[in-house]
Amino acid sequence: MSEIETFEEEDFQTRFSGKTFRRILALTAPHWKWVVGFLTTIMLVSVLDAFFTYLGKQIIDVGIAGKDISALLRIFYLYGGLTIIQSVMVFLFIYLAGILGERVRYDLRRNMFNHLQDLSLSYYSKTPVGWIMSRVTSDSDRVAELVTWGLVDTTWAVMNITTSLVFMFIIQWQLALIVLVLVPILVYIAIQFRKRILHSYRTVRKLNSKITGSFNENITGVRVVKSLGRESENLAEFSHITGEMYKASYRAAWLSALFLPTVQIVSAIAISAVVWYTGGNFTSSAMTIGGIQAFITYITFMMWPVQDLARVYAEIQLSIASAERIFSLVDAIPEILDRENAFDPGKLTGDIQFDHVSFSYDDGSPVLKDFSLSVKRGETIALVGPTGGGKTTIVNLLCRFYEPTSGSIKIGGCDYRDYSLYAIQSRIGVVLQTPHLFSGTIAENIRYGRLNATRDEVESAARMAGAADFITKFPRGFDEPVGEGGNMLSVGQKQLISLARAILAQPEIFVMDEATSSVDTLTEAQIQKGMEIMMNGRTSFIVAHRLSTIKKADRILVIENGAIAEIGTHAELLKKGGKYHNLYTRQFRNQMTEAYNPLSGQAATSN
Amino acid sequence: MQPSTDTLNYDLKRAYSKNRLAGLWRLMTGFRSTYMVATLAQGMAALAKTATYFLLRYFVDTYLSGASTVALPLLAVSFLALAALEGGFTFISATFASRTAEGVTRRLRNYLYDHIQHLTFTYHDNTQTGELIERSTSDVDALKRFFADQAISVGRIILLFIVNFVALINLNASLAWRSVVVIPIVVAISTIFFHYISKAYEAYQEQEAVLSTALQENLAGVRVVKAFARQDFEKEKFETQNFEKFIRGKRLLILNSFFWPVTDVLCTAQVLYGYFTGASMAIHGEITLGTYLAYTGLIVWIIYPMRNLGRLIVQMSTGMVSYGRVMDIIKQDREPLDDGTLTNPEQAKGEIHFENVGFAYTDGTTALQNITFSVKPGQVIALLGSTGSGKTTLVNLLPRFYEYTSGRIFLDGQELNTIPRRWLRNQIGIVEQEPFLFSRSIEENISYGVDRKVTKEEIEAAACAAAIHDVILSFPEGYRTVVGEKGVTLSGGQKQRIAIARTLLKNPRILILDDSTSSVDTETEAEIQSALQSLMKDRTTFIIAHRIQSIQSADLILVMDKGCITQRGTHSELINQTGMYRQIFEIQTRVEEELEREIASVRN
Repeated sequence: MSEIETFEEEDFQTRFSGKTFRRILALTAPHWKWVVGFLTTIMLVSVLDAFFTYLGKQIIDVGIAGKDISALLRIFYLYGGLTIIQSVMVFLFIYLAGILGERVRYDLRRNMFNHLQDLSLSYYSKTPVGWIMSRVTSDSDRVAELVTWGLVDTTWAVMNITTSLVFMFIIQWQLALIVLVLVPILVYIAIQFRKRILHSYRTVRKLNSKITGSFNENITGVRVVKSLGRESENLAEFSHITGEMYKASYRAAWLSALFLPTVQIVSAIAISAVVWYTGGNFTSSAMTIGGIQAFITYITFMMWPVQDLARVYAEIQLSIASAERIFSLVDAIPEILDRENAFDPGKLTGDIQFDHVSFSYDDGSPVLKDFSLSVKRGETIALVGPTGGGKTTIVNLLCRFYEPTSGSIKIGGCDYRDYSLYAIQSRIGVVLQTPHLFSGTIAENIRYGRLNATRDEVESAARMAGAADFITKFPRGFDEPVGEGGNMLSVGQKQLISLARAILAQPEIFVMDEATSSVDTLTEAQIQKGMEIMMNGRTSFIVAHRLSTIKKADRILVIENGAIAEIGTHAELLKKGGKYHNLYTRQFRNQMTEAYNPLSGQAATSN
Repeated sequence: MQPSTDTLNYDLKRAYSKNRLAGLWRLMTGFRSTYMVATLAQGMAALAKTATYFLLRYFVDTYLSGASTVALPLLAVSFLALAALEGGFTFISATFASRTAEGVTRRLRNYLYDHIQHLTFTYHDNTQTGELIERSTSDVDALKRFFADQAISVGRIILLFIVNFVALINLNASLAWRSVVVIPIVVAISTIFFHYISKAYEAYQEQEAVLSTALQENLAGVRVVKAFARQDFEKEKFETQNFEKFIRGKRLLILNSFFWPVTDVLCTAQVLYGYFTGASMAIHGEITLGTYLAYTGLIVWIIYPMRNLGRLIVQMSTGMVSYGRVMDIIKQDREPLDDGTLTNPEQAKGEIHFENVGFAYTDGTTALQNITFSVKPGQVIALLGSTGSGKTTLVNLLPRFYEYTSGRIFLDGQELNTIPRRWLRNQIGIVEQEPFLFSRSIEENISYGVDRKVTKEEIEAAACAAAIHDVILSFPEGYRTVVGEKGVTLSGGQKQRIAIARTLLKNPRILILDDSTSSVDTETEAEIQSALQSLMKDRTTFIIAHRIQSIQSADLILVMDKGCITQRGTHSELINQTGMYRQIFEIQTRVEEELEREIASVRN
C-alpha cells in the first residue's frame, strides 16, 4: 500500500509531455462526435451566458432608461427563449461529456485488462498486484476525467474569459484594457497558490495513509499490544501523527481560505477602477449605468474561471502522470508469445525432453543450471528437495509460464516453442500449491477446467477428486458460493476443488505442486485418491511433499541448487544413503508422528 | 492555536446520543465557540457582500446624479474596502471551520485508536478488522466533511438568504416577496434529485467494487488463468462487469444532466420574473434605477445557492450515518487496566493456583470446566490436547484476557480478578505460534514491550540469547531493517525468535509459550529450542504443546480434552498410565520401528 503510494508520489512530478498528451487525445478519437458535440455545446452555453449579461445591460439602458415597455418585453422574450435553448445545451454538454468519460474509462479498462491477460508471468513477478490495480482503477478514472471534465473546464474557462473580454471591449474598450491587465496578475497568483495548496494536500494524503496504517496495525496486532502493555506508548505515537495531520490539514485549509478572498479583492480592484473611471467622466464617457452593471458582472465572470484554471492545470498534470503509467502497462511486451507459424500438434502425449535447460531471472541469478531429463510417456516424476532449489521452476518451464534461457524443452520430439501457447496450456492440467478459486459457485469453479462440460461431467469430476462428499453437505451443494478467492472453504477443500477442475480438463500432462500446509487426514486421503486418478496413464510431474506420493513415483529427482542432486526410484535412492535418505527419514518421522497422533486426528474432525 | 488539554481529554463516550444531531453537537464540545465564530463570520461576509450592492445603489442614484457629498476616490476605495471585508470574513470563517473540523477529528481519531486498544478480547473476537478500520477512517472522514464543508455551507446558504432577503425587503417589500416564490420548489426538487443521485452513485460505486474484486481475483489467479488457457473467458467475464459499470455510470449521468438544466430553467424563470417586475417598477418610478441594480445583484445570491441545499442535505445525512457507525464502537465498554489493588506490589513470584475454574462464553457455551492445579514459582507446566480442547483458553485467563466465570485463580496468594490488568500483563510474557510483528525496525520490535529506554547492547544481548543476532546482522540494514510489507519478509522461525527476544527483554515472571515449533523445519526447530531454554530459565512457564517431544521435562503435564483435564502428572508418571499420553508416546517407538522396516525392505 505504502509502496504504491511512493510510486505515485514519484511519478507525480512528471513533466508535461506533448507526446503523452497526443496519445491521450487519441483515446477520444473513436468517439470524436461526442467530443465535438460537447465542445460545441459548452461554447454555446458560455457565449449565451455572456450574452445574458449583455441583455441585462440592455434592460437597464434601453428598457428602464429609455422607458420603453415594448422594448423591455422584446428583451425578456429573447432572454427567456435563449434560456430554454441554453438549458438544452447544458443538458447536452453534461450528458455528452459524461458519456464520453464513461466510455473512455470503459475502453481503457478493457484494453488494460485484455493486455494483462497476454502478459507473461515474468511481468507479474516484477510488478506488485496493488500497482496494477491502481492503474486499472484510479489511473483510468483520472484520464477519463481529464478528457472530459478537464476539457470542459478548460474550454469553459477560456470561453468565459474571452467572451467577457470581447463584450467588455464592445461596451467600453478603455476600461476593458484595465481589466485585461489584471488577468495575468490573477493567473500568476492562482498558480502560486495552487502549487502550495497541492503540496500541503500531498502531505495530508501521506499522513492519511499513515493513520490508516496505524489503525490497521493496532487492530490486527491488538492481542500483542495488550499482552505487552503498549497502550500508552502507542497512543502517544498515534497522537503525534494526528497532531501532524492537524497541522498539515489546517495549513491546506488556511491556504485555500486565503486564496478565495485574494481573488475577490483583485476583482474588486477592477470594480473600483470601473467606478472611479465612470464616476469621473460619466457624462462625457460612453459608459451607461447598464454598462457599469455589465462590467461588474463580467469581471466576476472572469475571475472564477481563472482561479479554476489553476486547479484544472494541476489536475491535468496528475492525469498525464496517470496516463503515462497506463501506457507503460499497455506497452509492456509479453515475453512469451506464439512464434510465427506456431501450430497445434493436436495432442501432447509424446515423450518430454529437457535438453540442457538453464534458466535465470532478469537479474541474472541462475535458478536452473544445465538441466537435462528425458521423460517417457506416462511416467510419473516426483520432484523433491529444499525450498528454493528449483523444483517449481522446472514445473513453470514445463507449463511454458517461462521459457528456458538456454537449452530447449521438447515434447514429442519437437521444441515446444514451435507449438502455440494455447496448444500446450490447454493440454496440461495444473494443481497449484496454494489453490486459487474465483468467486462464484463450486460448480462454476470446477467448470473452469472445461467450459462446455455438462453438469453431470462436473459432478463426476468432483466425485473422482473425492470432493463430492463435502460439496453435497453444503446447503446449496454444487451451487454453494465459494466466497471471494474461495475464502469460505478450507485449504484442503480448495485443493480438492482445484483437483476436480484439473480432472475435468482431461489434460494430457498432469502437473501438481503439493501443498505443504497440513490438511486433515481424511481430506489428505481423498487428495491422494484424486491424484492417483490423474496420474494414471498420464505423464505427471509432482512437486512432492507427501511420502505416499513420493513412493508411488516412477522416478524421484532430488533438486538442489538448480541441478539434479540424485535421481532414481525410491528403493535405489534409499539404498544409496545420500541426500534422499536424509530427507526421507526426517520427513518420515515428522509425517508418521503427525499421522498417528490422536491429537491431529481429532483436530481434523473438529475443524 | 492548538486546542486546550481539557478539550482534548473530553470523554467522547459522553457524546453518545440517540438523537444524531444532538450527538453531533456534543461531538463539538470544546470547539463550539470556534464554530460560532466561523458561522458569525459567514454572516458578516454576507453582510459585506450585500453592502456592496447598496454602495452601488448609492453610486448610481446619488453620486452619478451629482447629489453626493462623498469624494469619488473614497467611493471607489469603499468598494475595495468592502471586498476586503468580505474576503477577510470569508477567510476567518473558513479557517475557524477548519480548526473545528480538524480538532474534532483529531480528538475522535485519538479516542477511537485508544478505545479500540482498550476494548476486550471478546469484542475483538467478534468484530471484523476491516469493519473497524473502515469506521475509524472513512466514517471519521465523513464526519470531518460534515463539520468542515457541509454544516458550514448550509449555514452560509441560510445566512446569505436571511441577510439578502432582509436587504431586499428594505429595497422594496413587495418585490422581495415576489422574488422567492420558487425557492421551496427548488429546494424540494434538489433534495429529491440528490436522493436519487446519491442512490445511483452508490450503485455505481458498488459496481466499481465488484469490478476491482474481479480484477484482483484475476491478477491473483493469473497462474490458473494461464494454466487452463482461459484468457478469453476472463476477458469476457471482465467485459460484462465493465459494461455494467458503464451502464450504471450512464444512469447516474442522466440524472445529473437533467438536474442542472431543470433547476437552471426554474431559477432563471424566477430571476427573469424579478427583473421584469423590477424593471417595470423602475420605469413607473416606483423604485430608483440604483435600487433596480442592487436588486439584480442581490437576487442572484438568494436563488442560485438554493440549488446546492438539496445536495448538502443529502450529504449531511451520510455524515449522520457515519456518526452512528463510529458511536457503535465508542459506546462499547473499555477493559479497565488499573482496577484492583495489589497486596504485594513487588514483582510476582509466579505461584499460581487454579481452583475449580470454569469459563463459558457469553452465548453460554462452556469452554473450560473444573480446572484445578497448582504451580510453584519457576515450574514448567505443559498443556497437551487437540485443537479446541481448551488449552489456549486456559492460558488466556492468566493475563485476564478473558475473565473466568466460575471457580478461583490465585497468583501469589491473591485472587486474580482483583489484580490490576496492567500490572498482571507486565508480569506475563507470551510467545505465540505465529507471532505478530509490527512494520517497524527489528530493533523497535524487540524493544516493543518495554516501557523504558533500552540500550542497543540490551537489545543485542536479547537477540543473541534468542539465537537471531547473526540473522539480523545478515540483513542489509541490520537492526534497523524494517519488517513486513515495506521491508524484509521473515520466515516463521525468524519471526518466532524475534518474538522470543522481545519477551526476553520484557523479562516477565510468567511465560506462556504457544507450541512454537510445529511449523518450522528441523534445523530451525533446534535453534528455537535452545532459545526457548534460555527464556524459560527461572520463570513459571506454561507450554501449549501438540507433540510430546518438547514437554517431556515439564514439572506437570496436563492432558486436556473438551475443556477438562483428563490426565495429569510428570512424563514418567503418565507413560505408566493407560491413556492418551501413553498412546502418543508409543507412536514414536512405532514410527522408528516402521522406518527401520522400510529401510530394511529396500536393502534386501
